[in-house]
Amino acid sequence: MTKKQVLVTNPSGLHARPGAEFVKVANTFKSTIKIMKTDNPAKLVNAKSIIFLLSLGIKRDTLVELQAEGEDEVNAVETLCALIESGLGE
Amino acid sequence: MEKGHAVSKGIGIGKVLIYQQFIPQVEPTIIEDTMVEQTYQDYLDIQAKANQEIEQIVQLLISKQDEKHKIFEAHHEIINDVAMAETIENFIKTEHYGHIYAIDEAYKMFIEMLETVDDDLIRERIADLKDVKNRLLRIAYHVPEKNLSRLFEKTIVVALDLYPSDTATLDRNMVEAIVTEVGGPTSHTAIIAKSYQIPAILGVKDAMKTYNDGDTLIVDALSNELILNPTDAVIQNYIERKKRHLEQQNILKTYLDKTPITKDGIKVDVTLNIGSASKEEIALEPYVDGIGLFRSEFLYMENTHLPTEDEQYEVYKRALEGFKGKPVILRTLDIGGDKTLSYMALPKEENPFLGLRAVRLCFAHLDIFKTQLKAAYRASVHGNLWLMFPMVGSMDDIHKIKSVIEEVKSDLDSQQIPYSKDVKIGVMIEIPSIILVIDHVAKAVDFASIGTNDLCQYLSAVDRMNPLVSSYYQSYSPSMIRILKMAIDGFNAAGKPISVCGELGGDLIAAPILMGLGMKKLSMSKSSLAPIKHLIVHHTMDTFKSLAQKAVTLETEKEVIELVQKTLQEASHD
Repeated sequence: MTKKQVLVTNPSGLHARPGAEFVKVANTFKSTIKIMKTDNPAKLVNAKSIIFLLSLGIKRDTLVELQAEGEDEVNAVETLCALIESGLGE
Repeated sequence: MEKGHAVSKGIGIGKVLIYQQFIPQVEPTIIEDTMVEQTYQDYLDIQAKANQEIEQIVQLLISKQDEKHKIFEAHHEIINDVAMAETIENFIKTEHYGHIYAIDEAYKMFIEMLETVDDDLIRERIADLKDVKNRLLRIAYHVPEKNLSRLFEKTIVVALDLYPSDTATLDRNMVEAIVTEVGGPTSHTAIIAKSYQIPAILGVKDAMKTYNDGDTLIVDALSNELILNPTDAVIQNYIERKKRHLEQQNILKTYLDKTPITKDGIKVDVTLNIGSASKEEIALEPYVDGIGLFRSEFLYMENTHLPTEDEQYEVYKRALEGFKGKPVILRTLDIGGDKTLSYMALPKEENPFLGLRAVRLCFAHLDIFKTQLKAAYRASVHGNLWLMFPMVGSMDDIHKIKSVIEEVKSDLDSQQIPYSKDVKIGVMIEIPSIILVIDHVAKAVDFASIGTNDLCQYLSAVDRMNPLVSSYYQSYSPSMIRILKMAIDGFNAAGKPISVCGELGGDLIAAPILMGLGMKKLSMSKSSLAPIKHLIVHHTMDTFKSLAQKAVTLETEKEVIELVQKTLQEASHD
């Protein structure tokens, strides 16, 4: 399994448009990908689901952790972290 | 019939269209093993059909260059969500639910999950999920789609509630007004009605039963009246009123840049209430005499952490510079009661409005309080800062505030950080007890501003969030006027500035009385600036004074309202 933490910096967090963009990219990978807020590890959810992602209510300045398991796990985590760091187009 | 809320002002006249969305009745159904594959295929067919319908709406909106196509793209995402697909597949294949039952249960589960998230943006998404669920179930029951996109006459839409699907495709040329049974001032329907400038009255109980398709209905969202099957004379009268209202709206806009001086030459300060010192707020600087209320709590509420001293400093500096030396009244942190912070666990209280809120909370968390004061004093060199403290109830509170300020100043001195020596210290007047000692208060502080919303709540012992007692919340009651008079007299006698920054500051009934009582500064939200300036330049201070003198002698709120309306009407005919 590959894990990495990343800080959400775009103004609206992982909501609406940016959240949908994130999920779209997550779905291009074969690995199972999960996401959680580092201050609430009990809620670890499917990062390929916009509904689960919304249920975390991730706002700006939240530290999140991505976990992937599968053949393209390293690539998945790196790509998604870079996407969040880039501000998701905001 | 119970009165609703006129959330979007104006008048609409037209034929009633009872808009009943499909309301599915779902029974728990369990299927035989042999039916599983067919049932799952049924679900996939419904999903495909829904995707098709949504795609058509997206194309229609794109062709009209309407930004709302994005809402429906989000509907695609929900329908095709992997977790949603897995859940429904599991309900059918493992639990053997019928396809309708599986759809209903899966969506309900996800809606409940999102309802636990405390976030306004998420609440809009919940409306989307409900919308998508209804679409799927409607298709499952083979019911054709009903929508408001093609109407053939001037229509009053009467509905239980409206979803994004209904409002996005709504025919704006034909919809004269909206009436719904549920929904308040901050609901989806209210926001849409305001942005389309369609008159709307929401929360009208039993509207769907009271009206029938084809009834003629006048929706007067100016005085919150609904008139069913009016006579021709009444219709004519309302057509005239509607015309006048639209003309007035256009004239009012031209008053934004007028100087607020009464006909007999008295200048009244008109100031702005702001929340974040945004670009739009600062752009209003040329039209106002300063900031009458900077609600600093927004800085705290919009954040995911306590804003640091530097973060606060930048925002305060922006406001002070933006208003170019005009007074900026910064209210210190006002949370507790109905306002909470997601990242700070505050104790649960039996009576939060009577509890540890505003300056009381700051006294209990001196570190937070001092951080804010330090940021404000550092920013004070960039403009004309007036610091105001909310929920002050006694002279003890004022003494405590002053000693904290002294500590903050000596910290700054020892670090050789510059700050303005002219920062004014004032209190927000909202607890009645402080008005009973107003002579002491006026000596001890530099200024005061009246928060009329809380003052009314505390004066009349009415929880302003409780709809059961809303008729007891009377902002124009003679008791309110008398206590306002005491506060104004106290500060005027001491020769110190007093203003009003609550709802009443921008209210066309209360403002004439307040000015007549001797209030020289009114603060309000942006939308009230032009109407209040219009009021000031068209009347004399004498009119306001004699109005106020009469108002303090009256017995009931109703009499006060009638007096103001009558006096202003007569005065404008002179």
